[in-house]
Amino acid sequence: MTAELVGRPVRRREDERILRGRTRYLDDIDPPGAAHAAFVRSPFAHARIARITVPDELAGLIGVITASDLDGHARDLPVQGFEDGRVSEEGHPLLARDEVRYAGQPVAAVLAESRAVAEDAAELLEVDYEPLAPVLDARRSEDTLTHWHRVRGDVEGLFGSAAHVVRASHSLPRLAPVPMEARGAIASYDQAGDMLTVWVSAQDSHRQLAGLAAVLGRPEDSIHVIVPDVGGAFGSKGAPAPETMLVAAAAIISGRTVKWTEDREENFVASYQGRGMEADVELALDDDARILAIRARIHADLGGYLMPTTAIPAHTTAMLMCGVYDIPAADVEVVGRRTNKVPTGPYRGAGRPEAAYFLECTVDVAARRLGIDPLELRRRNLIRELPYETALGWTYDSGDYRRCLDLAEELVEPEERSDEERVVGTGFGMYVERAGGLFETAEAELLPGGGLLVRSGSSPHGQGHDTTFAQIAAERLGVALEDVELRFGDSAEVPRGVGTFASRSVAMGGSAVVQAVDALKEKCARVAARLRGTSPDEVDWRSMSLAEVAGAEPGLRASARFESELVFSSGAYGAVVEIERRTGRLRVLRLAAVDDAGTIVNPLLAEGQVIGGTAQGLGQCLVEEAAYDEEGNPTFASFVGYSLLTAAEMPPVITEFVESPSPLNPLGAKGIGEGGAIGTPAAVANAVADALGGVRVDPPFTEEKLWSALREANS
Amino acid sequence: MRISVDINGRAYEGEVEPRTLLSDFIRHGAGLTGTKVGCEQGVCGACTVQLDGEAVRSCLMLAVQANGRALTTVEGLAADDELHPLQRAFHEAHALQCGFCTPGFLMSIEAFLREHPDAGDDELREALAGNLCRCTGYLGIIEAVERAAREMRGANVQRD
Amino acid sequence: MKPAPFDYRSPASVDETLPLLGPDSTVLAGGQSLVPLLNLRLARPELVVDVNGISELDYIRSDDGPLRIGAMTRQVTLERSELVRPRWPLLHDAIVFVGHPQIRSRGTVGGSVAHADPAAELPAALVALDARIHLRSAGGARSVAAGDFFRGALYTAREPHELLVELEVPEQPEDARSGFAEHARTHGDFATAGAAVVVAPGGHAAIALFGAGPVPARANAAERALAEGADPREAAALAAEGIDGEHRRALCAELVRRAIEEATE
Repeated sequence: MTAELVGRPVRRREDERILRGRTRYLDDIDPPGAAHAAFVRSPFAHARIARITVPDELAGLIGVITASDLDGHARDLPVQGFEDGRVSEEGHPLLARDEVRYAGQPVAAVLAESRAVAEDAAELLEVDYEPLAPVLDARRSEDTLTHWHRVRGDVEGLFGSAAHVVRASHSLPRLAPVPMEARGAIASYDQAGDMLTVWVSAQDSHRQLAGLAAVLGRPEDSIHVIVPDVGGAFGSKGAPAPETMLVAAAAIISGRTVKWTEDREENFVASYQGRGMEADVELALDDDARILAIRARIHADLGGYLMPTTAIPAHTTAMLMCGVYDIPAADVEVVGRRTNKVPTGPYRGAGRPEAAYFLECTVDVAARRLGIDPLELRRRNLIRELPYETALGWTYDSGDYRRCLDLAEELVEPEERSDEERVVGTGFGMYVERAGGLFETAEAELLPGGGLLVRSGSSPHGQGHDTTFAQIAAERLGVALEDVELRFGDSAEVPRGVGTFASRSVAMGGSAVVQAVDALKEKCARVAARLRGTSPDEVDWRSMSLAEVAGAEPGLRASARFESELVFSSGAYGAVVEIERRTGRLRVLRLAAVDDAGTIVNPLLAEGQVIGGTAQGLGQCLVEEAAYDEEGNPTFASFVGYSLLTAAEMPPVITEFVESPSPLNPLGAKGIGEGGAIGTPAAVANAVADALGGVRVDPPFTEEKLWSALREANS
Repeated sequence: MRISVDINGRAYEGEVEPRTLLSDFIRHGAGLTGTKVGCEQGVCGACTVQLDGEAVRSCLMLAVQANGRALTTVEGLAADDELHPLQRAFHEAHALQCGFCTPGFLMSIEAFLREHPDAGDDELREALAGNLCRCTGYLGIIEAVERAAREMRGANVQRD
Repeated sequence: MKPAPFDYRSPASVDETLPLLGPDSTVLAGGQSLVPLLNLRLARPELVVDVNGISELDYIRSDDGPLRIGAMTRQVTLERSELVRPRWPLLHDAIVFVGHPQIRSRGTVGGSVAHADPAAELPAALVALDARIHLRSAGGARSVAAGDFFRGALYTAREPHELLVELEVPEQPEDARSGFAEHARTHGDFATAGAAVVVAPGGHAAIALFGAGPVPARANAAERALAEGADPREAAALAAEGIDGEHRRALCAELVRRAIEEATE
């Protein structure tokens, strides 16, 4: 009995307990007698710390930890670099020592019997700051923290002799990830057994565990990390946070279980942000509108420190600057500079939306300059045969870019009609994104009744891994969906793996499940063969049950470690927008989202990822911007200063999947988690420019900007 | 201050400070963690419960204000084993991903539909605007609510 | 974000309440504006006086002509009132823009007026309707015209020892019509700007702009022009004159125009 489950829109097994309110997110865990942590955070964007005065006795105050208390007990957070470039090794300190570099930076940790008292005590802490002038413009910063530059082909020569050179500059402001559940951690230290247990709202247990070990200088097997239910992350809960390390250190120092639930104000101000890049892009084209070469200078606003993954997004942007086009030569440079703002890091798309935006907007500028239809220009330059190695040196494994674009055009139903009340525009944005990579793990175990237990190194935070991986495993082993159980997130329960980010779960985690289950199936077949006196391929599974196999040989298990090169998803997005002349108000009338993520295991859940990503992309276009004022104070410390779209603003989104299976894994899967956030801003930006007759505006497309641009367009 | 609050038909007692928020009493005093806290500002809606059947932000009430009052939380939405039509519709339409916002949505929209059983699609969307979701992009939620509203209207007609 | 500590009293009548009011105490009505401030520690009263138990302030009536709304009337009650909607439709049209249903179920009309957020809808409607705000204190009672009540952003004529007890809205001529328009970034968000308009044949016109300045303000020149027969666009442009920022002016003019057209269609 092999039910075909892969490819079916199975409803989620996760749902019932959520719908009934039986979930356990971090703050739902109430260890009796826990101490509660609050943090004193810098009010200044840049300042020296002269002195910290700890408050006197306050009822309920347990203790205060400053940087000097950590000396010798904790290192700064590590920094992840990239190949072929330069990345500063100076990481983010857990607590500021003699300098703060962004408003919101943790300066001290306060422990008390309740969060309210911890906040009372935090207010009484006196910190003598000597404010310094903040640097807020990355282009003017003198501190380069990351650098990468690659030149392939005779770029200079091609630009020199090209019939057309088109230049455009673009800017994407910082965004706040805003998961509905903010961050949090609970730590408990068992002195007798020297065991540190940490619950943390995170994207996986692995990076948290590795971070704790490195920062606290403890062997990894003395740390147990448990990831409970997680209320969204979007990249912001991937790298370990200084606060998590501090909660753990506080548990060790105080001997109490320590709990920190981040509140929304902290989450806005101190959680690492997304985007924050500008680019100057040049295309060299011939008279047939063929792109001969691309030059791009990407300026990244990295913030006050490199957090573990701060360096990564801009590098990803650079990697993808050739996009879906067959561009023979490229010169791409990334300069990441320090500013006195909270660090940036991966946020849904993590460099890919920026690449798509910078490139696709420039392509439209080129089309207008050359007097050619933007879709035609794209079609003349699309990569046709895959696998394809880009000028920058990466190999796209599979794709059908032409088909994606054709579908997007068809589905969005381009429109140009404008009247006295409004102008209408249509625009497109294509993308290619790097997904998967590294490795992932899984263990498959046959249970006594013949059921299957799968332990996965992947870690869900809303994506529906439990259902998706169960589909994969059940189909592979030939059992019913209900007979498959999944385990995630607990370092004592799952094999050490890589985790959930970069749209890697199905391609990597799913493939590891496939391999583990296949290996287990083989073992089962051998047992069955022995029981029946046949050879493994002759076992008649109609008269042999897995329960029998389990009974004959209890504890059968197999593990897998699936490794792969990067896979490359792609897509084409189309948008039709309308701008009200009198007010500049932008309405996205409809969006077409065509994504190629290879094999789709669960189309219902995949579509959910696309629409969710699209909503975030639209948020970026319409209302989101994490702006600092001239003194470096965040203007986005609450929902008053930072808006999210509501259900009332969502336009119709028509989704379609093109499936070009990847040759790089047994499922043929790539990644679908981020496409919506990647393709949407470029498509909307190009639609807006189309409505404005070519005037280009960067997001968010506020009414003020569009109203002024309309006047510029009409003059 | 000692308070007693009826939640889902059961009395919960506890000792609170005047500044204790109702959301914290529900979650940590009464131990009913189905209701979530997302902002403590009254914007995200994750903390929405029903006070005498009206949807309210529990993060904007003091626990002492609920003394002697009756609340319904998500744990009280399903009638025993059977899920409420809204819960079923959310499941069918894939209207939840991480699930953190889901209880707030359910409690908000259940109250709204009781008051406006004939609400049109536009009205429903606007009613949903009081709850934020960062995962789903809302379209699944809108579909679920439209579906449930139709089902609940049909059931009402049948009863008449 | 947990509030700083405070003492708490919950009086059951106006008389019990008045002695408790002063500079160190804050009145807690619906809580939809105050509690976020408490949670952010932007408001740090020593004493919170919870007036939710004062049922004598929960009423909507017009026995003697004008509409009288008790301060503790929930916004949703005003929204649903079949007394108000046909005769003072501007109040209904304004109140549905206040936040979301979950806000209006607790928020009170008195609280909204006393809080005086520049982006608030109800103050603007009251200013357009020439309403009066009734206050009581241990020392007596007084009323203030809506146009004089709102003094600045989050600042009114109410003294700390006074309790807002009633909104009094004059009877409207039978043929009076109204219009309301507002703009916000997202649905239910704080208004960036808005307009509340009342017109009646015979030369009466009221245009109150809100969100663009610290208080809701009547656009007197525009009102005169409209009463004298100017078309909506002209009147709207006049109303927006003096607002800072070209785009802001254009937006305000557009909102006023829409509100006027709604009232005159």
